[in-house]
Amino acid sequence: MKILYSWLKDFIDIDLTASELEKHFTSLGMEVEEITKIGADFDDIYAAKIVKINPHPNADKLHLVDLETKDGTLRVVCGAKNIEEGQIVPLARVGARLGKEYLKPAVIRGVASEGMLCSSKELGLTAEASGIMLLDKNTPIGTNIKELYGKPDIIFDLELTPNRPDLMSHLGVARELSVLLNIPLKNKEIKHIEGSGNSLEVNILTDESGCQRYNGRIIRNVKNCPSPKWLAERLQAMDVNPKNAIVDITNYVLYEIGHPLHAFDLNHLKEGKINVRWASEGEEFLGLDGVKRTLNPQNLVIADGQKPVALAGIIGGENDSILPETKDIFLEAAYFYPPCINKTSKKMAISTESSQRFERGVDIENCTKAMDLATKLIVEICGGEVFKVNDVYPKPYIPQAVSFTPKDIEKILGMQIEEQKLKDIFSHLGKLEISAEKWLFTPPTHRRDLNHKWDLAEEAARFIGFDALTGKEDSSYAHLYFAENPKNVDIENILIDKLIGQGFFECKNYDFVSQKEIETFGFETKNCLEIQNPLAQGMEFLRPNLLMSLLKNIHHNQNFSRDNLRLFESGKTFNLQKGYPVENFAISGVLTGKTPTQKFFLNPQCSYGIFGLKGIVETLLSDYEIKLVPSQKAPVYMHPKICMDIMLDNKVIGILGQVHPLTLKAFDVKNEVWAFEFNLKNLEKHFDAQTFKKAKEVSNLPTSERDLSFIIDKTIPYAKVQQVLSSVEAKYNLIDLYQGSNLAEGKKSMTLHFEFTAKEKTLTDKEVNAAMENILTILKEQLGASLR
Amino acid sequence: MIEQLKTKLNEIENNYTTKLQNCASLKELQDLQVEALGRKGALTELLKSLKDLSLEEKKAFGPLSNEAKNKLTALFEEKAATLEIEEINKTLNETDIDLTLPSYPFEKGKRHPLEIAKKRMTDILKGLGFVWAQGPLVEDEYHNFDALNIPPHHPARDMQDTFFIKNTQKKDFVLRTHTSGVQIRTMQKQKPPIRIIAPGRVFRKDALDATHSPVFNQIEGLYIDKNVSLADLKRDLTLFMQGLFGPKAQVRFRSSFFPFTEPSVEVDVKCVFCEGKDQNCPVCKGSGWKEMLGAGIVHPNVLRNCGIDPEIYSGYAFGMGVERLAMFSLNIKDIRNFYDNDVRILEQF
Repeated sequence: MKILYSWLKDFIDIDLTASELEKHFTSLGMEVEEITKIGADFDDIYAAKIVKINPHPNADKLHLVDLETKDGTLRVVCGAKNIEEGQIVPLARVGARLGKEYLKPAVIRGVASEGMLCSSKELGLTAEASGIMLLDKNTPIGTNIKELYGKPDIIFDLELTPNRPDLMSHLGVARELSVLLNIPLKNKEIKHIEGSGNSLEVNILTDESGCQRYNGRIIRNVKNCPSPKWLAERLQAMDVNPKNAIVDITNYVLYEIGHPLHAFDLNHLKEGKINVRWASEGEEFLGLDGVKRTLNPQNLVIADGQKPVALAGIIGGENDSILPETKDIFLEAAYFYPPCINKTSKKMAISTESSQRFERGVDIENCTKAMDLATKLIVEICGGEVFKVNDVYPKPYIPQAVSFTPKDIEKILGMQIEEQKLKDIFSHLGKLEISAEKWLFTPPTHRRDLNHKWDLAEEAARFIGFDALTGKEDSSYAHLYFAENPKNVDIENILIDKLIGQGFFECKNYDFVSQKEIETFGFETKNCLEIQNPLAQGMEFLRPNLLMSLLKNIHHNQNFSRDNLRLFESGKTFNLQKGYPVENFAISGVLTGKTPTQKFFLNPQCSYGIFGLKGIVETLLSDYEIKLVPSQKAPVYMHPKICMDIMLDNKVIGILGQVHPLTLKAFDVKNEVWAFEFNLKNLEKHFDAQTFKKAKEVSNLPTSERDLSFIIDKTIPYAKVQQVLSSVEAKYNLIDLYQGSNLAEGKKSMTLHFEFTAKEKTLTDKEVNAAMENILTILKEQLGASLR
Repeated sequence: MIEQLKTKLNEIENNYTTKLQNCASLKELQDLQVEALGRKGALTELLKSLKDLSLEEKKAFGPLSNEAKNKLTALFEEKAATLEIEEINKTLNETDIDLTLPSYPFEKGKRHPLEIAKKRMTDILKGLGFVWAQGPLVEDEYHNFDALNIPPHHPARDMQDTFFIKNTQKKDFVLRTHTSGVQIRTMQKQKPPIRIIAPGRVFRKDALDATHSPVFNQIEGLYIDKNVSLADLKRDLTLFMQGLFGPKAQVRFRSSFFPFTEPSVEVDVKCVFCEGKDQNCPVCKGSGWKEMLGAGIVHPNVLRNCGIDPEIYSGYAFGMGVERLAMFSLNIKDIRNFYDNDVRILEQF
């Protein structure tokens, strides 16, 4: 909403600077988006013609310019590069005013200058300028430049909140300042113009959910014309292009008192009547914007005896609009039910100055006033015979009084306010009646947002100023609170800290993915959540896993030669189950490229491989008793043979493995990628922030170590060895694996390193040897192993 | 005879005391020790001549020779210790290495900048007694709008452009436009006192540019109890801002509008960069204040919708954007940088 300072002053006597006003607007809840200074803030600057440009005797870059003015020629010193003989330019002579400065006589490099040629910046008309301002060649010499521009003025662009339609006018903003500054409003009374002769027949054919009041008036024999300068200038300040006086006046009334009006060409209204009704299904309407729309019974229309002539409160019809030659008009001032206007405006995607006010709610009591103000201006500017207003107002609006006590306000705000101050505010805002036990406030008809004591508390705080609120000394705290995190947050944080320790960068991606990405991963779109109104193509679905986002991150980074990456993301995945959305917390990570090393060190660079990945996942989930088991059937986006299930409590909670090369191709990823992803849900029952792990005692006795090499069939997996050795108490690990020429066909050799720890006394060699014998027997009997 | 031996003993002692002090290496010292005290050493040779002495003379001379031996041995050990230290240091000092070569590159992992900012904020709020609460991202319209006093066809519903979900059984699922639905869910489940924060992602159909993202993070707070007032809100938010920006942080309230709070305020924090002194400050643009969050007293309709009597209980709510704070705290100029996941940016934090 734009507010012109001089227009505001029509209603309130204030003399504040732009920044003082800005402060007031801001604290009242009207954010100031922009302050624009317009008009000419100078005096005695006249048009002059450059007759001759002479060089300056003492300076290469300066000129002596001879000018023809209305009272003879004079000479100024000028350094601008864009001047030529014959140009008409603005000339400030000694004594002229530029903003707050008055031009003084000057001698520049030894030559007296009798004035100054001005740039548009020096005149305060533009923020920047590249030389002297050049005027139109036909500008008569001696023209007062000030007359070419309006008076100096300020436009405030205010961002208003949707609960305050009453501020969407100059009167409304003045009203607000009047309460704040305790300065009475002026010029707010609008004299009623009675008129003679009847209006058109007006029928409201809807209930309250359509039209609640309709005022109509005929004015005949108007002489439509371009608007006078003062009116056109004010509309231009509102960013409205003046059209003709009648149309401009309806707009003017909207910006002045906030009530949208509409004017019809009387002679295009059929059957001499107005029906405010719901559109019939499929009815067509051609708007002023040249767009033909098909209507339905949800749309409120203004119709003549035959067809819609306006989409109520939103836009007029092309065929009945006011043209320069229009003679007889029908003026409308109405009140439409706000949700009805909002619904149609949104559905039809038209938002106008009118619809923005109606959908927020105008002052229903303003209909006749708006009509009278427009009538007065039309008669003054265009003449015409004024007819009576036909006011159809089935159920007059009676504002509900709010009862409250100063104590209520104090309780909500947490501060004490002088009663006199509250009295001043509320009697200024509306009607205040005070009785012994309570106060009764009746809001004015333009403040439908004041319905209960909370609303009144806000008014009190606004007009007193929030700075008066100080933190209370006597705290309201009745309780202390134990701020525990949800389990998944704690689990997530621990896992994330581990991943960061393992050298992973955390990523954050949008939840949106494309249909193609979903299909590449082998998910069915019918099981995924789809967005009805996506922001852009490729953002139609919510991601069913996090890995697809991370592949995009690899792609992005490899474009900048970052090929060796460890990335992870923690976030939600989405799917549809039995028609309902389901969300899961998940963590996914990827490894690609080489392990980090410097080439000049001996450590060779290698790619991560499945065993590096397994190690990372095992370390990551070492607080949980997970098992990694080769997948029976890998998902299509994974390598069919290099993929494992992450199991917890015999349930698959995630997978790890190598990403399928075709998946990588689809995401334009160059190098092999190793990935994992799992859900956090199943971890929760194994996690409790209040339960700490219990320490086990460690032995102080020395350990005994033994290696054992044996040969078994190649087909026996290591997991099988682990399984048969599950009863063995010694710790062991695989230190060598060999399959090659020294061994028989189909055989492999393994070397295990065992570590025996004594519990009570140091183990003897004999005891250890017996244990090793036992192990060898198990391997021989259960796996057909032989000693190597 | 004995006097002669005594003189000789003195000579040996003096001779080797001097010699050992002049040794330059452990090896040299060891050789000298053998020469002095070894089986065929000078002292041993001298003692061999003791056999010619009388018993009394032996008694007199024995302790003297032992004393001399012990003294010398101690001196040799002392010198050996000194030389050992010298030799170790000498070896170390001869080390030839270019320490400025690049290090062995241990992987460095980093938390995402947004999460760094979010964690800082939630840590402070936890310290102020707020419990972390959660809710779904795919929310129904009731929890996202209606229960929050945002009726259908009200312009307030248009304040946030909403993503709608297409293929669900119930038609009214949306991507939550704020985390306020979590407040409703908490109030429906739990009786006051309630003191929660709801951090998480929210979605608005905003075109992507340097300052707008269709996905961003919010942290909302809600406190419901008896006698909670706007002054309590100001005190708690001041504490929060002081936690974030230091003990000098100040907050300012400005009137605003949200359908779910009344009174509603915008909360600014005094610019931490220029403290309002720089007309060209890139953070506050010279205003001296930086808009941080929206807040207010919970609207009585919202409390009623959750079965809480607004005549008995009252509460405040606030909500802030994590990205906005992270952008000016971490000097990130373009909100898209958070979601590009470019390692060159991630590795900086």
